[in-house]
Amino acid sequence: MQLQHKNTADVLIVRPLEKRIDASAATEFKLKLGEWIDSGNRRIVLNLSEVDFIDSSGLGAIISGFKRIGGDGRLVICAVKESVMSLFRLTRMNRVFDIFPSEDEALRALSGKA
Amino acid sequence: MMKPSLLGNSKAALKKSMDYHLRCSLCKEPVSKEGRDLFLATAFSLRDRMAEKILQTERRYREAKTKRVYYLSLEFLIGRLMGNTLHNLGMFDTYKGLLTDAGFDIEEVREQETDPGLGNGGLGRLAACFLDSMATLDIAGFGYGIHYEYGLFKQEIDNGYQREKPDNWLAELNPWEIKRTDEKCIIPIHGRIEHFQDRAGEYNPMWLDWKVIMGIPFDIPVVGYGGKTVNWLRLYGAGSSADFDIQIFNEGDYFRAVEQKVSSETITKMLYPLDTLKSGRELRLVQEYFLVACALRDIIRRYLRDHENFDRFPERVAIQMNDTHPSLAVAELMRLFVDEYALPWDHAWEITRETLAYTNHTVLAEALEKWPVGLLEKVIPRHLQIIYEINRRFLDKVAALYPGDIDLIRRISLIEEGETKQVRMAHLALVGSHSVNGVSALHTEILKNENFSDFYALRPEEFVNITNGITQRRWLLEANPRLAGLISDTIGDAWITDLQQLRRLESLADQKAFKDAFHDIKRTNKEILAGIISDSVWLSVDPDSLFDVHVKRIHEYKRQLLKIMQIVHEYLQIIRGEKKPAIAKTHIFAGKAAPGYWIAKQMIKLIHNVGQVINQDKRIGDALKVVFLPDYRVSLAEKIIPATDLSEQISMAGREASGTGNMKFMLNGALTVGTLDGANVEMLEEVGEENIFIFGLKAKEIAEMVQEKRYRPLDYYHRFPEIRKVLDAFRDDTFCAAERGLFQWIYHRVMNNEDPYFHLPDFMQYIEAHDKIEAEFQDPATWTQKAILNVARCGKFSSDRAIADYNRLIWNKNGLKEK
Repeated sequence: MQLQHKNTADVLIVRPLEKRIDASAATEFKLKLGEWIDSGNRRIVLNLSEVDFIDSSGLGAIISGFKRIGGDGRLVICAVKESVMSLFRLTRMNRVFDIFPSEDEALRALSGKA
Repeated sequence: MMKPSLLGNSKAALKKSMDYHLRCSLCKEPVSKEGRDLFLATAFSLRDRMAEKILQTERRYREAKTKRVYYLSLEFLIGRLMGNTLHNLGMFDTYKGLLTDAGFDIEEVREQETDPGLGNGGLGRLAACFLDSMATLDIAGFGYGIHYEYGLFKQEIDNGYQREKPDNWLAELNPWEIKRTDEKCIIPIHGRIEHFQDRAGEYNPMWLDWKVIMGIPFDIPVVGYGGKTVNWLRLYGAGSSADFDIQIFNEGDYFRAVEQKVSSETITKMLYPLDTLKSGRELRLVQEYFLVACALRDIIRRYLRDHENFDRFPERVAIQMNDTHPSLAVAELMRLFVDEYALPWDHAWEITRETLAYTNHTVLAEALEKWPVGLLEKVIPRHLQIIYEINRRFLDKVAALYPGDIDLIRRISLIEEGETKQVRMAHLALVGSHSVNGVSALHTEILKNENFSDFYALRPEEFVNITNGITQRRWLLEANPRLAGLISDTIGDAWITDLQQLRRLESLADQKAFKDAFHDIKRTNKEILAGIISDSVWLSVDPDSLFDVHVKRIHEYKRQLLKIMQIVHEYLQIIRGEKKPAIAKTHIFAGKAAPGYWIAKQMIKLIHNVGQVINQDKRIGDALKVVFLPDYRVSLAEKIIPATDLSEQISMAGREASGTGNMKFMLNGALTVGTLDGANVEMLEEVGEENIFIFGLKAKEIAEMVQEKRYRPLDYYHRFPEIRKVLDAFRDDTFCAAERGLFQWIYHRVMNNEDPYFHLPDFMQYIEAHDKIEAEFQDPATWTQKAILNVARCGKFSSDRAIADYNRLIWNKNGLKEK
């Protein structure tokens, strides 16, 4: 699975470069997210601008990251396409995550807040 | 703005269109007589024209902001479409001429069309009749169903036993449907609920780990009479979410990947036969959910093209649930509103109830669907949560109205407690709808007073009766062209869209010329059926004999056994010299038995064995014949019904919700012998008691006898020698000399198992009715007069009237726009 990531200030921006996050990619995705969190990243922006479809195992990987980062960290999502947003609504994950229209807005929201 | 048509409807244009499809779509030249080429070319040329009209109709609806009605049904028994389409487009004669010019007979071409068996019987055929009526009435009415790969099984007979063969109707190209992969949808299924909190700290259940099924739509145009309106029936087929599961594919296991794809497609593989729908059939539950989920997504998608929120949803959308089969619509619509569109529960509930309506089709307890809670949790866990929440809120309201009435709460709950907790789907449909209707006056009264009396006490204003109907376009205009022609020549053709016009035939009922013409047509139709019987079962029958017909699904409550008992009684009378036959009679049966319904399958065997004995008994000669026509289906019904003299509608009173076969026979000039059951009651009111043969106990009388335990079959057996002789004939192997003891179970079922369908109490009245029928049939002039009056007084039983009633009483509560 191709995952682009970079640090801006103390925020880690993760950008999957896959069109689909399904069972073939979810395990690796979950693993990488876990590694980043365990290595001390407490603020993460997940940029889904390239993703067209996430199946339930992909969504499970994101949930897993959310749980792992815990109450003292933040995992937010941005640039979600409608096709993916509809899956968030289906699972009601949109009510759990902060979802922002763009990466900049996500970064702004995270700045100053932990 | 209306776009100019790309197609012409002149004879030359239609010929060009057929030639085009022969060469360019089918790549055929020249045309063979045996193949389906000409049928396909005709159908494709018609589909072109209907596709254009679908777009025109859609533009009209959108411009007028017309309210749309969506009819959700697990069954649409549409029958062959070519004849109906040609008539409704007003192109029958043009195509007939074109085919004649090419050296073909249109009837032979029509025979090339497959008859899709996408239904079990009345319920599915009703849905098809309703689509025809909605389009004819210019109502924006659409059907949603399942694109079963295999329809109801094909019935073959082997030594009198039913054998089921797969009905692979899609093996041949279906020229009517338009596959719309661009409008496919994703349906989640299975998975689990993760109990979480949302950003505000409120409880937020998340539906995770689901699998995905693709819903792929196939649209079949539905043209209204006159061709102005073309609606559609959308059937969903299931596909896998991607052609192959990528992970499995990457692992190199090609075969497992393909198997997974096949597993998804299995969901719409076959239609379940009725009477096999006992709780626990997971695939059937998945089918019901799949249909509802696909349909509601599509309905919402269409609505949101023109609206920004759901405030006007009930004004613009009506959804009719055809029986409980699509009743998961209540939970799915709530889930969509609450979960996916974030509406507050109360608002979502209000919209859901204002949009949905439920038609009940049965009072038989075993046919009222229940699904185990555990199964729902496995298949659709989020829906189960929603059902529980609906139930909690509903029961709170009931408890507030009737404090302390625990028994009421137990009876009315959506959940049936017990060893296996079950969800009562009828209760879900009742609670989630703004209207529930029965399908005949008697049936609706039974629903109010018995099955759903608690709900009726709570919400009496929501109970409505809408007596079923049939479309005269198929069941007279197409099925009986000679009679249709006589009627149109005599009173004009307004009856095609206004069946009450047939009243004008009343004054002709005693006019000799009209009676003779009517009688001749019946005789011709009987000759045609005699030919079919001869070809099909190699039995010669006399077209001048009384064609006495009992065709319908085989079920105990429909009492094929009572009819056989009457035949056996008559046979025994004749061979014992107690009676001299006054007229010749041909008893015709047809119908399928559910594969797992032993008694129904035995009934088919019994009919065959009784027929074999009687048909070969030289003492009987031609006085009695018994025929079983295999593989009853719409196209066969279209041949049997116009040829029928006597229609048998003899269900145990209180069991047949309406019946629609009864109406089809009446419309085609058969007299009815029947009990006061279902719509027979209203047929009696319409036609008058002198023109119908009514017999037997009333529903109320049966209910009282059951309650007071007053019925003892043994009393009837001892009191009436006629009954005794018939039952003894089943016991003493009269009809199964080569298979000893085969029918002894009938004796025991009736005598020792309390005859649950009350054959004996009705038997004596039934044979008296047949004595009367025999006497009256000897006077053809009077018989024909009564037959004409049956046709003349059939107007009420048009599905146009039924749809107008739905429109006025259910869908139009919020101002449905027509035309």
